Amino acid sequence: MSSRRRFLRQGLASLAGLGLTSAFGNLRVLAAAANQYVFPVGDYKALVCVFLNGGNDSFNSIVPYSSTAYADYRSSRTVLIGSGGLAFDQATLAANALTPLAASGGLPGGLPSDGASYGTHPALAELRALFNDGKAAIIANVGTLLHPTSQAAYQAGSVAVPPQLFSHSDQTTYWQTSRPDDANANGWGGRIADRLHSANSGAIPMCISLSNNNLFQRGDTVDAYGVSPGGVEKMSYLGDGPESWVLPPNAAGVAAWNALLEADTQQHVFERAYAGRMRSTVANYEIVDAALGNAPPLSTAFPDTPLGNQLRMAAQLIQVRGALGMARQVFYASVGNYDTHSYQVDDQHANLTQLSQALAAFHAATVELGIDDAVTTFTASDFGRSLAVNGDGTDHGWGGHHFVVGGAVRGRRFYGAMPSLRANANPDDTGYGQIIPTTALDQYAATLAAWLGVSASDIADIFPALSRFESPNLRFLG
Amino acid sequence: MIRRRWIRVVGGVLLACATSATAQSHRPDAMLRQGFEAADAGPDTDAAAARFLGQATFGPNAEDIAHLRAVGYRAWLDEQFAQPVSTQIPYLDWVNGIPGNNVTDDTRLEAWTINALGTPDPSRGMAAPTDQLRQRMAFALSEIFVVSSKNGTLLYQPWALASWYDMLAANAFGNYRDLLEDVTLHPAMGIYLSHIQNQKADPTRNIRPDENYAREVMQLFSVGLVTLAADGTPVLVGGQPQPTYDQATVRGLAAVLTGWNWNNAGCGPGSYTCCTASTYTNCGPNNDYDRPVWRLPMQPIEAYHDTTSAKQLLVYPGVALPAGVLAPGGNAQAELGAALDNLFHHPNVGPFIARRLIQRFVTSNPTPAYVARVAAAFADNGSGVRGDLAATLRAILLDPEARYGQWFDAARFGKLREPLIRNTHLWRAMHALAPSARIVTLTPYPGIEDWYGQGPLRSPSVFNFFRPDFRAHGEVAALGLASPEFQILSDSIGVSTTNRLFSVSFCWYRTGTSYDGSCWADNFGGERTLHLEIAADATLAASDPAALLDRYNLLFLSGQMSPSMRATLLTRLEAITGTNRGRLRLQHALYLILNSPEYVVQK
Repeated sequence: MSSRRRFLRQGLASLAGLGLTSAFGNLRVLAAAANQYVFPVGDYKALVCVFLNGGNDSFNSIVPYSSTAYADYRSSRTVLIGSGGLAFDQATLAANALTPLAASGGLPGGLPSDGASYGTHPALAELRALFNDGKAAIIANVGTLLHPTSQAAYQAGSVAVPPQLFSHSDQTTYWQTSRPDDANANGWGGRIADRLHSANSGAIPMCISLSNNNLFQRGDTVDAYGVSPGGVEKMSYLGDGPESWVLPPNAAGVAAWNALLEADTQQHVFERAYAGRMRSTVANYEIVDAALGNAPPLSTAFPDTPLGNQLRMAAQLIQVRGALGMARQVFYASVGNYDTHSYQVDDQHANLTQLSQALAAFHAATVELGIDDAVTTFTASDFGRSLAVNGDGTDHGWGGHHFVVGGAVRGRRFYGAMPSLRANANPDDTGYGQIIPTTALDQYAATLAAWLGVSASDIADIFPALSRFESPNLRFLG
Repeated sequence: MIRRRWIRVVGGVLLACATSATAQSHRPDAMLRQGFEAADAGPDTDAAAARFLGQATFGPNAEDIAHLRAVGYRAWLDEQFAQPVSTQIPYLDWVNGIPGNNVTDDTRLEAWTINALGTPDPSRGMAAPTDQLRQRMAFALSEIFVVSSKNGTLLYQPWALASWYDMLAANAFGNYRDLLEDVTLHPAMGIYLSHIQNQKADPTRNIRPDENYAREVMQLFSVGLVTLAADGTPVLVGGQPQPTYDQATVRGLAAVLTGWNWNNAGCGPGSYTCCTASTYTNCGPNNDYDRPVWRLPMQPIEAYHDTTSAKQLLVYPGVALPAGVLAPGGNAQAELGAALDNLFHHPNVGPFIARRLIQRFVTSNPTPAYVARVAAAFADNGSGVRGDLAATLRAILLDPEARYGQWFDAARFGKLREPLIRNTHLWRAMHALAPSARIVTLTPYPGIEDWYGQGPLRSPSVFNFFRPDFRAHGEVAALGLASPEFQILSDSIGVSTTNRLFSVSFCWYRTGTSYDGSCWADNFGGERTLHLEIAADATLAASDPAALLDRYNLLFLSGQMSPSMRATLLTRLEAITGTNRGRLRLQHALYLILNSPEYVVQK
C-alpha cells in the first residue's frame, strides 16, 4: 500500500511537471494571468449561450420579402407551405417585418447589405419584437472558418476550411471550441473562464450548464457545474434527498461515503475522476441550494418548456449572484430537434416558438432584476441548413444567422452580410446550396468575450485565427 | 511481484504518455508471452468468473458464477451463442391483449427489463430468458446503431422500436453485412435518419437526395471519419489524419438510397395507402398505431430512384467498384447491395467496429494490439468469413487483454460502468423479482433516462448517450484517455443516478414470496416493483458482516475490493445494531458499493 501511495503522489507530481510543457501547456500562462482580472463590487456580467442542437434553418427563420430577394428565396424553396413545401408567402413575411434603425455612429443600419427587406418566421414574434425594440440584433451568416473563404477559393480548395463540414458532431465541436485546427481544444467559453474566474470570490465554477455536459464550457483549469432546470436535487444517502426518510440518522453512513470518495486515495484514473466529480457535485450543490433558498421568487412568467425552464433557472442563479460571489458568469442552455430533414414545417414552428418565448421571458426577467444591461444571450447551432430541400425538410449547411439579445446589445441592426438565397449560380454558396460563412465564429465569439471584459491580448490567445479576419470586434455590444 | 513491476511501468508511461502509443501497444504482448497464453482456459477462480460475467452479461449472480466455473469460458460462449433469442414483440402483443391496457414506449422497457434480467416472461408462459450474452450484445449494438423514441414519431411506435431491438438481437451473433442491411431498411431507421421516401434530385423543385442516413451510416455505423490502420489507429500523412470520404461520397451514397418507401404488405382499402410512384410522399401508415408495416423492411419505388447519375462511393485499396464509382442504371435494390458491399469491405470496418464493441464490453482504451486482434477476427472468423459478429465477440471477451488487462494497466484499464448496467447488476445479483410478472421499475416518472442519463433506445441523438472519444475533464483529458460513459456523469445525473440506486437498494425487498418495502411503491401497490431477495444475506449480515462483504466483493467487484474500502464498509456495517441490522447492513453495503469509485469503474 505504501508504495502505491508513493507512486500516486509521484505520478501526479510528474504529471503536473509534464503539464508545464505539454498537456497543461497553459498552466504557467494562466498562473501569470490569474490575478489580472479584478472588477469593482457590483460590476457583474453574464454571457448566456443558447445552443440549437441539430442545425437551425436560419434561412427560413429570417427571410427576405422584398421582390428580388424574395424571388431568389423562392428559387430555392419553390413550394409554399400551403402546398406542402417549406416556403413562406411574401405577405406573411411582410406582416412579420424587421424594421432596422438607420446607420449611425459607425454602426450598420438601414436595410442589410443586400438591400432587401426581411421578415421573420411567424413563430419568432417575441424575438422580432425585441429586435424592433432595439434589444436584439441579427448577426448574419456566421460559421466556422479558418480563413476568410471565397466561393472561388472554396471550390478550388485553395484555402483550408474546417474538417468535416456538414457533420453534426464535428461542426458542433468547432462551434463550441472555435478551433477547427485542434481536435482536442477546450471550449471558448471555458477558455474565457480560465482567464476570468479569479475575478469571482465564490467557490462554484464560473461556468454553469443548465443542460448537458458540453465542450463549450470546458477550460484547462475550469469545468462547468451543472444545475438541473428543476433546481438542486440532493443526495438521498447524505440526507435531504428523495426518500432520505427511509434511513435513521446516518452520520456513520456519511462518514463512510466521504471516506470512499476521499481525494487522491483511488488507484485508477477513472476512479479519481468519478470521486472528484461526486465530491464537487455535492460541494457545489450545497452552495447553490443555500443561495437559491434565500431568494424571493421571480415574478416574470416563463413558458414551461425545456428551454424556458433552463433559462428560468439561469435567471434565478443570476438573481443570487451576490450570494454566490459571482462577478462574471457563462451559462449554457441547449435544446434539440433542429435537424429538420423532414417534417420541417411543423418542427421548426414548434422549435422557434419555444426559442422566441423563452428568450423573451429571460430578457424580461433580467429587466425585472434590473440587470438586463449586464446579461447578453446569444444563439449558436451546429450549422445553417442547405438551400436545397429534401422534400419536406432541408439538409446540413454551413453558415447561418444568429440572434444576440440583451440590454447591452446595439440592437435593431443587422451585422454582417446577408447571403443570396438563389438556387442556381448563387454567388455565396459552395456550389451545392450550402452558404459559405462571411462572418467567422471567432469574430462573433471575440465580440462577446470583449464585452464580458476579456483583454485584447487574452482574446488573441483564446482565438488565434481571429487576426486573419477584418474586424476583431463586430461592435454589436456596447 | 508482477503488480509492482507494472506500477513502475505505469509511472514511466505517465511521463512519456504523449509519445508512447507504439510502445504501449506492444507492452501487454511482451508480458503475455511470459505466462498468460491460455487466456481462454479459465476461469480458475470465482472472482475471474464474476469478472468475465460483469463484462459479458447484465451482471453476475452466484448461480452463473458456479456454472461458468463448471463449464469454462469457451463452452459458456458456445452455450450462449446457441440460446434462443428473447424478443420484445410478443410481450407487447401480450400486454395489448389484456383489456384496458395500452402499449406505450414504457411497455417496451418492461420487455427490456425482463430480457435483461432473465425474469419470467408472461408472454412466453413464464419462461425465463436465458440469452444474457445476446441481450447484452443487442444493448451494445443499440448504442452504436442508434434509433430513439426521443424522435417525435417513434415515441408513439413502440412496436417499431421493439422490432428494431429484436432485429439487433437476432443479428447479434450473425454477420455484420446482414445487420447493416437490416439496419438500413428498417422503417424505424428510415424515419429516424429520414431516408424513407428519399427521392432522386428534382431540379425544378430544387430537391436533392437527403444526405442524412448516407452521412451517418459511414460516420457512425461502419467506417468512421478517418482512415484507420488495422489496429484502429489513424493513418497519418504528413502528420494529418486522412478523411475516409468526402462530400462527393456522401452525395453518391445519398443518391443510392433514393426510392425507398414503406413496405406494401397489408396496404390497401381499409388499411393504409399503398406506396406507388403517384403516392410516393403520401403513402404508408403515417402514425397509425401498431401497423405491422412498422416491422417490415422498406421497399423501393423505382420511379423515385436515381438511375441516371454515376455515384461516388468509398475508395480504398482493393475496392471492387472501379475507382469506387457505381455506374448509373442499377435499380434501387441492386445499388443498395453494391453500396453496402462497398461499405462492408472497407478495411476500416473491422477496427472501427472492434473498438466500439470493446468499449461497450471491456475497456475504454484498448491497446492497438487488442483492437488489431479483434479486427482480425472480424476480417476472418477462421473459416474465411468476414463480418462474423459471434467470432468478433468471442475475440473481444477471450482476448488476453480482456482477461488480464487489470494486471497490465491497473491505473487505466477498464471502463466506467453504465448506470443502467449498474442497476441490472444489482437486481440480478440479488435475484430481484416483482410480485407480478410485469415490471415497471425502469419506467419511473420522469423517464429512466432522466435519472440515469440513458434508457434503452432513448438516446437524445444518433450520437448515443455518450461518444466513444469523450474525455472527462482534468486528469483523464490530460492523459488523452477516452472515457465515453463520463459524458453522462453530469452533476445532475450523478446525483439522480445515485439516488435511484438508493431507492433500489433501500426501498423494496423480499424474503421468498413475502414482499416488503419502505417507500412509496409503483401505481400498482408495489405489485410491479422489483424487490431484492434478502433472506440469506440478511441472516449472514446480522451475524458476520465481514462475510457479507466477502460475498459482495465477489458478486460486485470480482474480488477487486481494496483493503481500505473493505475496512470502511466494515466499520459502517458494524455500527448498525438492533433487530433489523441484517437487512440494514446489506442495504448500506449494496448502496455504498454500487456508488463507490472502485465499483463504478469496471476493471
